[in-house]
Amino acid sequence: MDSYLRPGGDAVALEDSIMQKGQPVTAGSKMLENFISPLDATVVERLRGQGVAIVGRARMTEFGVARISGDRPEGISGAVDAVADGSARWALCNDVFGINRRLAAQNGVCYIHPTYGTVSRYGLVHLASSMDQIGVVCRNAEDGFALLGRIAGKDANDGAMFPEARYDYASTGKDITVGLPEAVIGRAGTAQKAALREFAGRFRGAAVQIPLFPLVKQVMYILASAEISSNLTRYDGIKFGYQAPRYRSLKELYTNTRTEAFGLDAKLAAIMGTMFLSQGYYTRYYDKAMRLRRLVKESLTFAGYDVLALPCAIGDDPYENLSLYALAPLAGLPSLVFPQQRQGIQLIAAARNENALLTAWKSATKSATKG
Amino acid sequence: MNYEVVMGLEVHVELATQSKLFCACSAKYGADANESVCPACAGMPGMPAVTNKRAVALGIAAGIVTNSQIARVMTFDKKSYFYPDLPAGYQITQYAAPVCTNGWVEIETEAGTKRITLKQIHIEEDAGKLVHDNRTGTTLVDFNRTSVPLVEIVSNPDFRSAEEVVAYLEKLRALLRAAGVSDCKMEEGSLRCDVNISVRPAGQQSFGVRTEMKNMSSLKAIVAAIAFESERHIDALETGSEVLIQETRRWDDNKGETFSMREKENATDYRYFPNPELMPIVISDEWIEEVRAALPELPHEKYERMTAELGLPDRDSRIVTGSKNLSDIFDGTLAHYDKPREVVNWILGDMLSAAKGINMGEGDIVLDCQKFARVIELADSQAINRNVAKKLLGLVLADGIDPDAYVKEHGLGMVGDTGAIEAAVKEAVAENPKSAGEYKGGNQKVLGFFVGKVMRKLGGKADPKLVGRLLRDHLDKQ
Repeated sequence: MDSYLRPGGDAVALEDSIMQKGQPVTAGSKMLENFISPLDATVVERLRGQGVAIVGRARMTEFGVARISGDRPEGISGAVDAVADGSARWALCNDVFGINRRLAAQNGVCYIHPTYGTVSRYGLVHLASSMDQIGVVCRNAEDGFALLGRIAGKDANDGAMFPEARYDYASTGKDITVGLPEAVIGRAGTAQKAALREFAGRFRGAAVQIPLFPLVKQVMYILASAEISSNLTRYDGIKFGYQAPRYRSLKELYTNTRTEAFGLDAKLAAIMGTMFLSQGYYTRYYDKAMRLRRLVKESLTFAGYDVLALPCAIGDDPYENLSLYALAPLAGLPSLVFPQQRQGIQLIAAARNENALLTAWKSATKSATKG
Repeated sequence: MNYEVVMGLEVHVELATQSKLFCACSAKYGADANESVCPACAGMPGMPAVTNKRAVALGIAAGIVTNSQIARVMTFDKKSYFYPDLPAGYQITQYAAPVCTNGWVEIETEAGTKRITLKQIHIEEDAGKLVHDNRTGTTLVDFNRTSVPLVEIVSNPDFRSAEEVVAYLEKLRALLRAAGVSDCKMEEGSLRCDVNISVRPAGQQSFGVRTEMKNMSSLKAIVAAIAFESERHIDALETGSEVLIQETRRWDDNKGETFSMREKENATDYRYFPNPELMPIVISDEWIEEVRAALPELPHEKYERMTAELGLPDRDSRIVTGSKNLSDIFDGTLAHYDKPREVVNWILGDMLSAAKGINMGEGDIVLDCQKFARVIELADSQAINRNVAKKLLGLVLADGIDPDAYVKEHGLGMVGDTGAIEAAVKEAVAENPKSAGEYKGGNQKVLGFFVGKVMRKLGGKADPKLVGRLLRDHLDKQ
């Protein structure tokens, strides 16, 4: 483990969406540029309580909203940068759209996205409430799960959590069966495919179908933007955050504040989400997406396989790639992104079966070093 | 032409919880502005909602006392609109799966009993309060009320008169108070009522154009608003003086009329959707039974007990069970003196008039039931006479005196010694020979005069009946 330590790097970096009492928390938005956290997030309190140092705050894409249009993916992750360049041993962040997971894969670090409802979100700036989940950027998965064990567990301040007070993540040492959705893997580039094949070659494999995979990106976009539109209504220039300097009426105060302080992607999500929830569109989009979400979740059975293996990119279109990263948050499942042959691989396990992820990672890296 | 007024009610009741619906802030009324506010109810980012289970239990209780169906699974939804009194930009309420549906409440009016059916009861958070300062032209926001838990009780359009509306609100208030769901104080806003009203020619099946009236802060205002609005509707139908439109109108208590809230006419799209941060809440049979078991005896159950089991008069039982306080005093006193009829008579007679004498309203009476029971017992057992008992009751009520100690200290015990009474009788007759003669001459009325004389001699501490008997004996012997 010591080989991972760098001077000043044995500490945690926090994405700028996680509150530290007395520190600004901007979530990467002008809307919150002067907002000071009134309290410590539960994860911060737990880290402090266990003597884990916090090294600093990491910049982020505004509120964590991804740009899904355009030729190239956009977005920044100070959390991934901090771990990749050695200024922090771990970083905590929220990742709904896959910005952090994609960048982790590209920068050769790991990302652990835990089961929904196992890490408290008290003090995490809301993005999409049914998917928000604090995850860990780390240099190796074992080290990351060690940190996750220190922050996970029931918190009375978060109303959507499992009752377990704590989690001990450990490799079970058992043989793992890897589920391989060929239809998805077939869409990946040559290098991605090769990395996946090499990984899968170390395990027993099982063919898996995700029949609704082509729709996952749409389901994700509709539900996430609906929830984002609702979570962004609190930024109205009345109580906290940015307030437009000029307005002639209440309506103008709202409009000017939000026009001046939200960036393009936040605005787009708010506008689209508002439309999806409006009369006439709710049934056509939101309600349908909710039903599909359930079907997608039900299709991930983990019957006959322990972990699902996916590439980290299927082409360059950010919207197409959204399907890959949306599966875990939509279904509330744990996932692990880690580097393999300079490519990223994503594993997904059944709810609260993080140990399967750790076990698969351990045996893959062990044989990799051997080989 | 005859017209029929059709009304439906939406009653908002603040739940009697210690804390708010989704955070730990105090839900108590009357704190200084923005005293009971935390980052969560101020709508700040990063604060997940955590449901107050007690509020859900009170929602279930409201359902039980209104004969409602309790949901197996209830969910919360978000209702979105921008307004400064709504810090998060959305209100958490119940839309798709409310806690209760299909209840009913039985009301009594001159015309007899009637069942008012309820569409649903849902739990939601209250909004904050805007305070307009006309002097400076500014508006301030007080978030104390933000997220205080409410239930909204939505009736079907079953009402046909203001009398029915009043009977329903009184019944609902008695039920909810008895069940501990809410203190239902209209003056503090913990019970608010919106009235949906339409008018149609008698016999017509379809409903007329409906308007909704808000901002009535007393039963009197509700009655006046119904009278005004139904007349406005009838006028419009008869004379065509105006075209009725479906709208929300505010009641102006000073002017005694309703006026249109035009700014709300462009229909807001509230974008209801299931609150993604709150899990559905499963209401088990065990939970419902637990709530039911913890409910005190309800007014109609107590009415049954008073009339059928205790054999008390219908009217008296109705008055006692119509007031939570009288009802409690009845039970408290009965526990110390098990004579229901005497206890009821004392409560409705001397106790109420004594309270009125010191300007205590029926709901404000605070009475030590044990001492009250002792006063009744002393009077019944002839240890003191009725006038002394009334005086004692007044002192118990006002100063909380101990009846036994007071009687002893002031020598108010009844003179039971016939020797002493006979002596006083002899004295009185000897002092008034003329009257004694009249009695002998057949004038029975004089006896009353003598009783008064004897009572005065004994300081009012004798049983007047006994005095009368001894007087008669003495006079007849002469």
